[in-house]
Amino acid sequence: MADDQGKGSGGSDPYDATQYHEVVKGDTLWKIAERYYGDGSLYKNIFEANQDILKDPNKIKIGQKLRIP
Amino acid sequence: MKRNLVGVAITLLVSIIMLVACSSDKGPAELAIKAAEEAVNASKAEAAKYVPEELKSLEGALTAVKDKFANKDYKAAITEAQALTGKAKDLLGAANAKKEELTKSWTDLSEGLPKMVGAIQSRVDILSKSKKLPANLTAEKFTEAKSGLAAAQEEWGKAMESFKAGNIADAVSAANSVKGKAVSAMETLGMPVPAGAKS
Repeated sequence: MADDQGKGSGGSDPYDATQYHEVVKGDTLWKIAERYYGDGSLYKNIFEANQDILKDPNKIKIGQKLRIP
Repeated sequence: MKRNLVGVAITLLVSIIMLVACSSDKGPAELAIKAAEEAVNASKAEAAKYVPEELKSLEGALTAVKDKFANKDYKAAITEAQALTGKAKDLLGAANAKKEELTKSWTDLSEGLPKMVGAIQSRVDILSKSKKLPANLTAEKFTEAKSGLAAAQEEWGKAMESFKAGNIADAVSAANSVKGKAVSAMETLGMPVPAGAKS
């Protein structure tokens, strides 16, 4: 797992507080939710925040940058 | 006897000349003080908001000039009053520069802080539903972060009130306090602190 902390979407907004997680091999939304929220069942929050790039919560791709709300 | 009379006459003449010379400065001194007072008054409203210490010093100097006038030291009163007029104009310039600086700070903070506070609120809402907190966050730390968020939101309300009341200096001060609280809460929650909030 890898995160991309502190970087905004375009890097131009100095107050962009969005946290990103870059998907690596072995990641699932459940595991990512466990890491950031301590509870995998909260994965839907991540899925909903990334509906522009995710169509299915079970299909995430290596290298995708997911917003962590 | 005759010599004494001449001496008295000379002394009297010199005194009259000095008195007339001195009195002739009274009118210009009055005008100079009036001009200085008007210049100080013209800068007072803005200076009181943005450079209050400098205004206090200038008002003290004006009082000192008036004291000199009262003590009939007209020449000094003229010189100092003329200098004060220039200083009052400089003070207004300094107040306007400070106002511009604070306005820019406020614009940046008022655009950025709601995003930070919103992000913290979102994370707190999600973590509040979690059956187990993430590894790097204890229950105590989470409570601390929630208190920090509540304090930041309250302080933000005060900042907005100050701004609406036209007090930009207080608004910026309160906004900087919000920034400090928000940064602390983000660090506690393991969230990235935006670059703009680090300065």
